[in-house]
Amino acid sequence: MSTPAAPHVTPVRRYLWVLGALLALLTLSALSALCRLGTFNLVINLGVSVAKTLLVMAVFMHETEARNLTRLASALGFVWLAMLIALTLLDFLTRVRVPKPW
Amino acid sequence: MNAAAGRLDSAGRWVAEQFDDAVQQREAATLGMWVFLATEILFFGVLFASYAVCRVLYPQGFAAASRHTDMLLGTLETAVLLVSSTAMALAVRALKLDARRAATALLAVTACLGLAFLVMHGFEYYREYREHLIPGIDFSQEGAAARAVELFFCLYYFITGFHSLHVLTGVVIIGVLALRVARGAFGPQRYTTLELTALYWHLVDIVWIFVYPAIYLVGRAG
Repeated sequence: MSTPAAPHVTPVRRYLWVLGALLALLTLSALSALCRLGTFNLVINLGVSVAKTLLVMAVFMHETEARNLTRLASALGFVWLAMLIALTLLDFLTRVRVPKPW
Repeated sequence: MNAAAGRLDSAGRWVAEQFDDAVQQREAATLGMWVFLATEILFFGVLFASYAVCRVLYPQGFAAASRHTDMLLGTLETAVLLVSSTAMALAVRALKLDARRAATALLAVTACLGLAFLVMHGFEYYREYREHLIPGIDFSQEGAAARAVELFFCLYYFITGFHSLHVLTGVVIIGVLALRVARGAFGPQRYTTLELTALYWHLVDIVWIFVYPAIYLVGRAG
């Protein structure tokens, strides 16, 4: 055990592929925003953001090589945030103006 | 003399006494960093939640307000941050391969791109100041949607302001790390500090990935 194992490294090409994909997704969201797509503008924008985040987390933040405990910890922040926003919107999106019964 | 208890392992790495080995120590540090990043996600999360509520309540006003922002500059800023994240990832990789000069250069590139982002945002703020879009201080919008536009710009300054503060913090830390890497403070067996800083920098990037469509891309069509 005199020479410790060299640290694991990701090939440069994979980082550059991810950068290319991120810039392509950025272009997609910018161009789609200029088209009148109704609700799909929002869907595409959110979808592109989630895809970009997954790319950054998987490759740049080395989540694919991380231990399960680290993955769990990294997902938790997003899970709490999803609950926060989902439950808040559940309230605001389901409010109905009820007429006075008298 | 540092009073911390620990030992040097066979590779000359400092291991604090509560850890079995350097690998366990690094994994614990990474886990701790992610717990901190979760608090950061929720810090920006409340701002995003407020944004979501206001946008549900005033869809027209938010679309009108978003058209006041500079989409081209916002897109460029996003691209700059994405490239800087890649440079940061490459810097950590270079250090792991003991390419210290390359790591120093890549860290410098990362910090410079962060600075470029801040400068571009400064121009944006200046333009909004010129266009009287600062709620509470100098705000001259009128019409039915004026209050919603004001709300949008309040959230805009809070979200982008705190984000820029995070970018500035990152630029300072990365700049200091570049100097320390150049002086040989880190190497293939000692890169945890750099890796954790990279995690922070990527998260700041992720926050912006969600800020970009929320601020710049609403109501652009038609």
